Amino acid sequence: MSQAQIHDRGYLGYDGPRHGTRRAMMNLSYHTVQRVLGLKRSNWQKVLPTISLLIAFIPAIVFIGIAAFLPRGDELGLDSTADYYGIITGALFLFTAFVAPEAICTDRRSGMLGLYLASPLSRDTYLVAKFAAVAAVLGAMTLGPPLLLLIAYTLAASGPDGVDGWLIELGRILASGTAVAVFWTALSLALSSLTTRRSLASVGIFVGLLASSAVGDGLAEGAEIGDSFALFNLIGLPFEAVSRIFGEVEPEGAPLNQVDTWAIYMTLVGLIVAFGWFARWRYQRIEVDG
Amino acid sequence: MSDIVISARGVQKSYGSNHVLQGLDCDVGRGITGLLGPNGAGKSTFMGLILGLRPRQGGTLNVLEVDPDQSGPELRARLGYAPEHHDLPGDVQAADLVRHVAQLHGLPRRAATERASDALWQVGLGEERFRPIGTMSTGQRQRVKMAQALAHDPDLLLLDEPTDGLDPVQRDDMLALIRRVGREFDIDILLSSHLLEEVERVCDSVVILANGVVGHSGALDELGSSAAGMRVELDGDPQPLVAALAARGAEAAIDGHILTVTGIDAVGDLVRDLVADLGLGLRRLEPRRTTLEDVFIEASL
Repeated sequence: MSQAQIHDRGYLGYDGPRHGTRRAMMNLSYHTVQRVLGLKRSNWQKVLPTISLLIAFIPAIVFIGIAAFLPRGDELGLDSTADYYGIITGALFLFTAFVAPEAICTDRRSGMLGLYLASPLSRDTYLVAKFAAVAAVLGAMTLGPPLLLLIAYTLAASGPDGVDGWLIELGRILASGTAVAVFWTALSLALSSLTTRRSLASVGIFVGLLASSAVGDGLAEGAEIGDSFALFNLIGLPFEAVSRIFGEVEPEGAPLNQVDTWAIYMTLVGLIVAFGWFARWRYQRIEVDG
Repeated sequence: MSDIVISARGVQKSYGSNHVLQGLDCDVGRGITGLLGPNGAGKSTFMGLILGLRPRQGGTLNVLEVDPDQSGPELRARLGYAPEHHDLPGDVQAADLVRHVAQLHGLPRRAATERASDALWQVGLGEERFRPIGTMSTGQRQRVKMAQALAHDPDLLLLDEPTDGLDPVQRDDMLALIRRVGREFDIDILLSSHLLEEVERVCDSVVILANGVVGHSGALDELGSSAAGMRVELDGDPQPLVAALAARGAEAAIDGHILTVTGIDAVGDLVRDLVADLGLGLRRLEPRRTTLEDVFIEASL
């Protein structure tokens, strides 16, 4: 057998196919999903995303188990799928405040933003790709468990009545899960765009959300200025929107319950647009030398 | 491909009241071109305009026959860029980073993986390609930056201070690599630097920026042929010769033991005759050659 080895192939040009900007965005989104989930990173980086996903999915698995293995277990489940979003608030809060900032803060701190913007990506396509990545993971948490429950209950013959009822429930889940995921993604990117430090962004989101809840409810309830001030409660707002999507209104509940449904929806959409606009505004002004 | 890689006419860029580029005109041809200038001359700003990272406020700019403001994404797919900073994500393996950037520039995953590996071998990091970047030395990180700029086979490579932070040995290696990329890989390079010596060592031509405009541009080998006067080294006191030259309308500048004589034609014959008449010892008489340093200083004034 010959012992000959090629040690240096020399430099070879590339004449193969090249994809465009859309594929670059998909690649960046995929890479970002890997980073926020801690894949290909140290075990420590996997802890928070894993906890978030477990908090989101374990209750659904428990409910499915109860329905499947306990007699009359389906009666022990949730009154409404909307209630599930209340259960996973902690998971969404944890992910939005402590994991999602990784998506954009680190790029600016590590200089990767310069490399990204020296590629076919622009500032806008970069942000869209990042938004899609964070929304995809949050969407997995807001859509995955309710869809699992719907399928499991349907298979256990305790799901919605009839095809129409099933399709309406599916539509409500898709609308609710998407609204919550998009809202928290926009909020996270907007606040994270203010700093290159992930920890600072986390503290900002954490404190900002708690403060919004205290101020919103305080103004609406404590000062009794008006129920509409409860719309400032950024923690409660998306979950109230979910309740309205599922047709649940509790007139005697918290201040947000007293607000008109159209005001809830308009505020939610308005805030998503405002957060998105703010992140874009910030990124148009960031000086990048590479 | 055209012989002109970058063509700038009247390019302007300001940040508020700070006019960084004030009507920059230059043509950058094929090969390796040095972009020289003191700190604050506008090198990084010009690089940013070439990449389309920021819009210009006046003039025309064509890079690879494309306007970066109009077709930024299409243009950047054909450019490779190694930034000045040393910060790269420390927990990412070199091979993953290079493959990722190659994919962003349009390469399919399999091709990107193969070319990332090849590029890292080419820059001398073949054995180190699966190491996290955070564990690498400054020299190795500079090579990773070079590899990520090369992997997608760009038409034009933009290198911003590629030897910054390197020790002399690493610097020699990096300059050799740049020369190899320009010569053997047939990739045109624009090398931004404030170090004259490294531009002289690797570049074919130079663009010198000063005060927001081009102070000088041209091929490096044309600099030496533009003789201007003579350099004279004497044994003993040069003052009698300086006085005699001044009496005949020549200008003589003293720098240590070296006299630089300019100002009249046939200065060599005059110096020879005066040295003989004054009985001085002549050690050296040679045509004065314009150096890059001369041009740089003149352009920066």
